[in-house]
Amino acid sequence: MKVIVDDNLIKRLERLALIEIKDVEKEDLKKDLNEIIEFFNKIDELDLSKTEPLFHPIESGKLRNNVESPSLNREEALSNVKRKENGYIIGPSTVE
Amino acid sequence: MISNILEKLKTGNITPEEYVEKTFERIKKVEEKVNAFVTLRNKEEVIKEVEEKVKSGGRLAGSLIAIKDAISTKGIRTTCSSLMLSDYVPPYDATVIEKLKKEGAVIIGKTNMDEFAMGSTTETSYFGPTRNPWDIDRTPGGSSGGSAAALAAGYVELALGSDTGGSIRAPAAFTATFGLKPSYGTVSRYGLIAYANSLEQIGPMAKNAEDLGILYSIISGEDWRDATTIKFSLEKEPYEIPVKGLRIGVLSDIMEMSDKVVKGSIENMINKFSSEGATIDYTKLGYAEYALPAYYIIAMSEASSNLARYDGVRYGFSKYNQGSWVEVYSKNRGEGFGKEVKRRILLGSFILSAGYYEQFYIRALKVRRLIKSNLDQLFSKYDVLLSPTMPILPPRLGEVINDPVKMYAMDINTVIANLSAIPALSMPAGFYNNLPIGVQMMGRYLSDSLLIGISIYMEKVTNLYDLTAPT
Repeated sequence: MKVIVDDNLIKRLERLALIEIKDVEKEDLKKDLNEIIEFFNKIDELDLSKTEPLFHPIESGKLRNNVESPSLNREEALSNVKRKENGYIIGPSTVE
Repeated sequence: MISNILEKLKTGNITPEEYVEKTFERIKKVEEKVNAFVTLRNKEEVIKEVEEKVKSGGRLAGSLIAIKDAISTKGIRTTCSSLMLSDYVPPYDATVIEKLKKEGAVIIGKTNMDEFAMGSTTETSYFGPTRNPWDIDRTPGGSSGGSAAALAAGYVELALGSDTGGSIRAPAAFTATFGLKPSYGTVSRYGLIAYANSLEQIGPMAKNAEDLGILYSIISGEDWRDATTIKFSLEKEPYEIPVKGLRIGVLSDIMEMSDKVVKGSIENMINKFSSEGATIDYTKLGYAEYALPAYYIIAMSEASSNLARYDGVRYGFSKYNQGSWVEVYSKNRGEGFGKEVKRRILLGSFILSAGYYEQFYIRALKVRRLIKSNLDQLFSKYDVLLSPTMPILPPRLGEVINDPVKMYAMDINTVIANLSAIPALSMPAGFYNNLPIGVQMMGRYLSDSLLIGISIYMEKVTNLYDLTAPT
């Protein structure tokens, strides 16, 4: 499936990735993304119908023992928060 | 060599103050040109800490070490060379930092890197590029370019980097230093600011193979805080291993993709292995031209997921706070991330979106399987696979940065080890017009000590170790 990166796709990706793209960035970005996707298309040459995907290179996914361990206290955990009040983080508004 | 410094500090041949003063003098002299550090610690604090550590002991008692700015250090700003984290101060240490501190190492500063480790030249850093101490007009490679430059410029003997697709080995090759991308799961990633989990490892960087081994033996081991670490501990520090009888497969398809001068230097190295009694055979990796797109598809997919955490609310760049969640997120991320990081997140989001997931992501993972299967077969015949680390000489600043596909192409030899979890080591092979060339050895999964042992032997044959650039 041939992919063309146009203004519509950029708009969709802005929303998916939650990254605002300024108008001045758009032309360069479209050109770069088109070139990179073209480079990705190389793998289309292979017949992969009988190959299983390899998600992770080693067996993993072990669990640790369910025991308490030391963790950060609230002050430490919030030490990099710019806007906070009474030990809570102030986020953007959720209602208009 | 770190053992010399340790001995001098222990016997009082050099005082902690003299050691630190000398180091800072060197930094003062060349750092303006090199730009290896994002954050350099206060000298008096460092002297005090070295004094304490020399007294309390440990295998690295009082040695200075430079740490890539992607690794969390309690109380020391950790930026990942991004505006997004330019004022972030971690409230905890990464596991590798805890381990180093326990052995008496003292952090001198945090080194420059490509933003979020996304780059191969250290030019995507928000804090400006690092320059190669061997030729100030050229890049030191990346993304751990600051750590490699700090070694080559003669600041320190030890450094840590991280390697997602060659980010330790590329800078090692371009600066005539040593770097190991460890077997996946042998070094804890707890506290490493994540880029692509299934590919990356923290690893040692040094000016000789012995120091590389000491550092690896300290930072490796199982960690309950990282579920991807395996039950693993080194029984003893890596030691010299003669190469007589070693079966080496030279990857001719990778060799063919490299510049003539690079190839020449590697041929020279192959002859040295051969004279020392190793068996040399030319073989092929297979799927070499597919490894690179598959790697970038996987890396960008994982990146888009990992970097979703930067919301400008809990930590990091937080200039905008008016409007809905979506608006606030999007504005902070649009301004807080640099160009290359945005490209990769956007592409990762695209690849994982409905309709394209199978076409790109799943197919890339299938290529990953093919590459791993081929490697398994090759390692039934060979102990080590040899190739150039980088296909080209260190590029000039600006030479590749404006052409992403050209920049990605530099990683052709290095991504293979990340896709398949195996260890890979880069050591100096020679110079061309005073520009360093590195040779890469890949080994079977968990053969890290063998690779280090071989390089301890071979560095004496080549006499290319403990090199400092004449800056």
